[in-house]
Amino acid sequence: MRKSQTGWWFIAPASLHLLVFALVPVAYAAYVSLFRWDILRDERTFVGLDQYQRLMADQAFWGAMGQTFKYALMAVPGGLVAALLVALAVSQPLKGMAWFRTLFYIPAVSSGVAIAMLWIYVYLPERGLINTMLMGLGWPSIDFLNESGWALPALAFMSVWVGLGPRMIIYVAGLMSLPVTVYEAASLDGASGWQKFWRMTMPLLAPTHLFVLVTSTIGAFQTFTPVYMMTNGRPMGTTNLVGYHIYVTAWENFNVSAASAQSFVLLFLLGLVSLAQFRMMRRRLEGYDAS
Amino acid sequence: MEGLPTSSALSRRALLAAGAALALVGCGPRLGGARTVRYANWGSPGDDSDAMRLVRGLYEDFELATGVDLRVENIPGSQEYLRKVLLSYVAKSEPDVITLDASSAAIFIENGVLQDLMPFVNGANGVNLDEFFPNVVEIAKRGDALYALPVDFNPVLVYYNRAMFAAAGVPEPQDGWTFADFRATARALTKGEQYGFEFANWMPGWIMWLWNHGGDVLSPDGRRAQGYLDAEPCVEAVQFLYDLVERDKVAPRLSQAASMGVDLFANARSAMKVSGHWELVGLASAPKVNLDEVGVVSFPSRLEAPVTVAYEAGLAMGRHARNPEDAWEFIRFFTSEATQKEYQRTGIAICARQAVAEKMATTEVKQAFVRAARTARVPWGARVPKYDQVERIGQDMMDRVMQHGTKPAEALRSAAQQIDEVFRDA
Repeated sequence: MRKSQTGWWFIAPASLHLLVFALVPVAYAAYVSLFRWDILRDERTFVGLDQYQRLMADQAFWGAMGQTFKYALMAVPGGLVAALLVALAVSQPLKGMAWFRTLFYIPAVSSGVAIAMLWIYVYLPERGLINTMLMGLGWPSIDFLNESGWALPALAFMSVWVGLGPRMIIYVAGLMSLPVTVYEAASLDGASGWQKFWRMTMPLLAPTHLFVLVTSTIGAFQTFTPVYMMTNGRPMGTTNLVGYHIYVTAWENFNVSAASAQSFVLLFLLGLVSLAQFRMMRRRLEGYDAS
Repeated sequence: MEGLPTSSALSRRALLAAGAALALVGCGPRLGGARTVRYANWGSPGDDSDAMRLVRGLYEDFELATGVDLRVENIPGSQEYLRKVLLSYVAKSEPDVITLDASSAAIFIENGVLQDLMPFVNGANGVNLDEFFPNVVEIAKRGDALYALPVDFNPVLVYYNRAMFAAAGVPEPQDGWTFADFRATARALTKGEQYGFEFANWMPGWIMWLWNHGGDVLSPDGRRAQGYLDAEPCVEAVQFLYDLVERDKVAPRLSQAASMGVDLFANARSAMKVSGHWELVGLASAPKVNLDEVGVVSFPSRLEAPVTVAYEAGLAMGRHARNPEDAWEFIRFFTSEATQKEYQRTGIAICARQAVAEKMATTEVKQAFVRAARTARVPWGARVPKYDQVERIGQDMMDRVMQHGTKPAEALRSAAQQIDEVFRDA
């Protein structure tokens, strides 16, 4: 009994933090979403699920959701492939690889605002890093953040770079946990390097793929800082991602009730997407367990 | 430790009392003690420009003259300013006095967070409103109530580079010119890497094209966009702007202009642009344009007289200002003729006081702005609380036309529907 009480004391600070700064605000947001709440006049009317009903016909919200899906389709697979390749490279038993791992991880510990400012300069027309290179090759300058065809891919490309470090570290951990004996056996059987990677490393990394896939997808749907700093949802709403749209609804349009409802719809959809991803990967995981 | 008998009840009480006294001294004025005025203005807290030093000097003059402790809160970025100040009202931690931008005045006024200044204006320590431009005073008026005393304002006009006109042998434009004149002028000034005009997708800067074509974004009561924004005059105005860029190629595309990476007008690469009085501050140090070579002219128009706007800034008092008399004293001081003569040396805008504006209009360009000021329109943001959403939709509409090639009629119809949906949800 005493042991169990000690355990409760240990988790109390974290639980209190979770309760005060996560669970209570979430519950309060759910409460707010049931009202039509004018925060400037502090007038509220209980409307039940009306905000959710209106949301179903809200073209701007679903447009933002659509753009976020497109963004996730670019950023998540790109991020996974890049992180896996870098993880494979830095897992080689070569001198100085620890330094490379640190270098790749630096963006993860940098301020999101500072990174966004940096990438504004990278994408700058004519004088930006990428355009200087393009123009050096004789190609025209591209206004990446203001051209409707380029802005979303530009943000996705940046997110691949920003997320590289954390994803790489997870893949490195996954690679390190792979059983050496299986590879030795494969070598004895005459498997080539590509066969070992494609038929062994990839399936054995299935739990890691799943984790990175789910967390990266959730991260993509929560994207806010780069949009706020770099594009403000423009041009033509192409970068109006759902996280930014919710912010605009709450703090520019001062419609906190609609924004709360939007947040819960996003939560529900993210739950569905994550569930689908889990189910998709389950077969591979089951196959892995069986083997 | 002998000298500090903390164990005794007496000393504990003394320490508590001293602590409480210190807390009161430290917190009292911040919470709005007697003779303290909190004032929110847009601007960067670290701004140490000549203009900012001049303004800080004026704040000090006010403190010396009145004994009031003025706490200035500079908030950078106009959108951030708007959000932060509005949310301070929600949190009930609002400043006593705020700078009220006409472009977003309605959201403050219609939500009842400001105090009617007319009792102060008509009081013993009042001001004579007849000394101000009447149309500028109107911006923050609702019936007999006045919610901000104007400080200064910016009409928006067409800037042109006289040297480029002379070099191309093109006569300088005159008030009363037509859209055909504008087009012909822009064509004559376009050659090589030089453009006749520079268009920016910034709705406060292009709404005048709609007005001067005879159209408008909203109905006169500001409650409806369908039937107005999608009406023929607006379609023609947007088509006109599109044609300047895509058909006549007298203005660079938005992406081209951005990719050039420089202010085209300030670098003598475009002969005309649309901007407010504030542009003169930047042009004073422009790399390739001499301020003496800059001219301004009204918009071309099909109306009886060309129309522009008055983007005004005024001083407003919060409904729950802690020291209304001192807050009013600051408003009165800052809008007084003596202070404004000093303040307007910053050159950003035209003084709302007619006498000061006329006295400071020492050049042809400044005189043109003062002339335009007399008939400048109240911006929609001063009348419609949700106008920032209207502007966002408007700018998206223009992006669709200019970047995606959507037909103006179709883009405007869609924008008008979206705006009416915003109003319906309100």
